[in-house]
Amino acid sequence: MEGFLPLQWCIVWWFIALPCLMIGLHQLKKVLAADREALPLLGVTGGFIFILSALKLPSVTGSCSHPTGTGLSTTSFGPWITSVVCAIVLLFQSLFLAHGGLSVLGANIVSMGVVGPIMGYAVYRMLRDTSVNMYLTVFLVTALADMFTYVTTSLELALAYPAETGGYFSSFILFLGIFAVTQLPLAIVEGIVLALVFKYIVVLKPDILIRLKIFSEEKINAARDDAS
Amino acid sequence: MNFRYSLEVLTITAIIAFSGIFLYTSSTGNGAEYTGSDTAGSQGIAELSGIPLENFQPLIPQWKPPSGEIESCLFALQAAAGGAMVGGVFGFWMGSQKKA
Repeated sequence: MEGFLPLQWCIVWWFIALPCLMIGLHQLKKVLAADREALPLLGVTGGFIFILSALKLPSVTGSCSHPTGTGLSTTSFGPWITSVVCAIVLLFQSLFLAHGGLSVLGANIVSMGVVGPIMGYAVYRMLRDTSVNMYLTVFLVTALADMFTYVTTSLELALAYPAETGGYFSSFILFLGIFAVTQLPLAIVEGIVLALVFKYIVVLKPDILIRLKIFSEEKINAARDDAS
Repeated sequence: MNFRYSLEVLTITAIIAFSGIFLYTSSTGNGAEYTGSDTAGSQGIAELSGIPLENFQPLIPQWKPPSGEIESCLFALQAAAGGAMVGGVFGFWMGSQKKA
């Protein structure tokens, strides 16, 4: 929302976003140099960020919001590379759709591309080497990355606009009520859909998942046997 | 898992349930307008700060799609770009799998 974040906060969020993008670009170069076959996987996982963030879906609260689609990319490439893909999508939306804006782009990259994916990635790292089902892991990563994107948006707005009574906290709760509640059903559906997409990646291109060590070879082979 | 398509069934069920809930809540006439949560958020900001909504102007001048039609066209283009990427790669993978 261009214009709704005071200048000093725009600058703060840009300062946080830029180093993340630098790490992302650096990692991206390294991953692609090490394995050219990572590029198609980046295309699929990034493609879903393009698709899902274009869909404004109605929610039970009577307002509309869009999913983020960052779960697959977070699972496959981690939060930093995901932030680069998000930056591209958000730039497109700022320039052509008046959705977001150049001054708030930093804040939007932080919520959608950094904090959401970091939360998702934390769950992925916790569950990756356990016996928890792979698809359940992808579901949780996706749903949490989506939810925490909007929790972060609420926090960014609360920091800029503390309530007169109750300060930052009550303002945070107010924005959570607007953004996070709307998002909850969307995050769940998004998580299920991307878990299904991940199943097709497992079936079609298991070797790249194994080479990038996204999940253990045993887990991927077992899932592949189940699916065929 | 013996049944191969449990995830597919779950996905379809979730989408149908989601649409069903939407149809129900939107037809019971609870006055919901289905505006963007961004719009609701902007109103929240205006209330909290006491600054009228129309006083919030872009800090950096911004091109706005002149109408909802053009906006939805551009959103569709974005989704189409993503769809082309996904479809292209899945097709490429399927093709190379068959060759091998």
